[in-house]
Amino acid sequence: MDEKTAFRHELISAWCGPAFLISFIIFWVIIGQNFPNPSPALTAEALQARYAENLGSIRLGFIMSMIIVVFYLPWTALLSTQMARVEGRFPVMAYLQLLGGGLTVMVVSFSAFFWVAAAFRPDQDPATTQMLTDLGWLCIDLQYACTTLQMIAAALVGLADKREVPLFPRWACYVTIWCGLSFLPASLTGVVKTGPFAWDGMLSYYIPYACWLGWYTIASTYMIKEVHRRIKASEDTALANPSLSRA
Amino acid sequence: MSISLEKEHAPSVEEGILIFIFADMCMFALFFISYLMERNADLAVYISSQAKLNQSMGAVNTLILLLSSWFVVLAVKALKRNAERACALFLASAFSCGVVFIINKAIEYHAKIQDGITILSNDFFMFYYIITGIHLLHVLGGMIVLLVLFINTRRGKYSANNVAAVEGGGIYWHMVDLLWVFIFPLIYFLGA
Repeated sequence: MDEKTAFRHELISAWCGPAFLISFIIFWVIIGQNFPNPSPALTAEALQARYAENLGSIRLGFIMSMIIVVFYLPWTALLSTQMARVEGRFPVMAYLQLLGGGLTVMVVSFSAFFWVAAAFRPDQDPATTQMLTDLGWLCIDLQYACTTLQMIAAALVGLADKREVPLFPRWACYVTIWCGLSFLPASLTGVVKTGPFAWDGMLSYYIPYACWLGWYTIASTYMIKEVHRRIKASEDTALANPSLSRA
Repeated sequence: MSISLEKEHAPSVEEGILIFIFADMCMFALFFISYLMERNADLAVYISSQAKLNQSMGAVNTLILLLSSWFVVLAVKALKRNAERACALFLASAFSCGVVFIINKAIEYHAKIQDGITILSNDFFMFYYIITGIHLLHVLGGMIVLLVLFINTRRGKYSANNVAAVEGGGIYWHMVDLLWVFIFPLIYFLGA
């Protein structure tokens, strides 16, 4: 593959970052009625009424979420490539980041899948609707550790990046580690139904999700910059040595 | 004794560590705000539950952490005058304080669980277990940092010209201490 095509693929993958971010907010957060999200303290009947009132919107939001979440994959692949360039021949952290990102997609995807299933038969027993909704939220809120590892892997490579212009600035790496650890309170969603640590609470929902998407925004910004920097460096080399570019 | 002001400059730690610490403190500030808001909504339950806590255990742990912070200060000062053996000794002392803190906390949790008090007993105990539990994770994290600093000091990796790592770890440990200084009155003592 020629270099130009490779760069084009990298650029598309980098822009999958903003594409994921925007479409996730539109479909998962807004159309999927997750702002605010349903409280775990709702009775089964109230929860089913919530589905009945927003049936079309919830179906559209989460069916689309399962499609757009894959924008996360090319982005993850690009991040691994950029990390591997820093790591050299044996890029353990790049592989780890790749696994973490891939599994994050499955976790997000499965939770939306449970909510689509909950909305599939609106006249079913409310207890079933409640159980499927529970499965979706517990699926996404308890299985954050893959994402935490993805973020810590990226941060460790970022901190070890001694190039003149590193992939990520050092502050961003520390913020990344902290954001990854901020998911920890979400483990309490497996136990409590009210208060700030329930799955609709400040400390288990709003802050961890904001940290995840905040990290994603920061990382995307620097990844896009890195691709443009490499493209420019390549063009400069080509201009300086016209014979090389023809070869 | 003369005091030379030039030497007492601000710590030369990485800004990233300071950002990490600031974010962590913001997180705890949110814990405290949510605790206080929930507490105001249900004051009677919080006050009667609070009475079941062992305040002297909490007080002992406060003293232990304050002592450990002092050891960390002494460690940094020792390193700045190239007394690496003393630095390692003070770091080990701070680490030992962390061990005592954890044992103390384990005894306290054990006594609560024996009395049938768990995270699900009521909202006060949910906050009690979660806030002190997340703080305990910070103590563990800080102890790992102290251990690494201790090992590296013994190996001669740090000196008066290279104190950034010890100062950075020290600042983190001070934060762990500072958080407890807020947690202790808020959870164990706060009145109506």
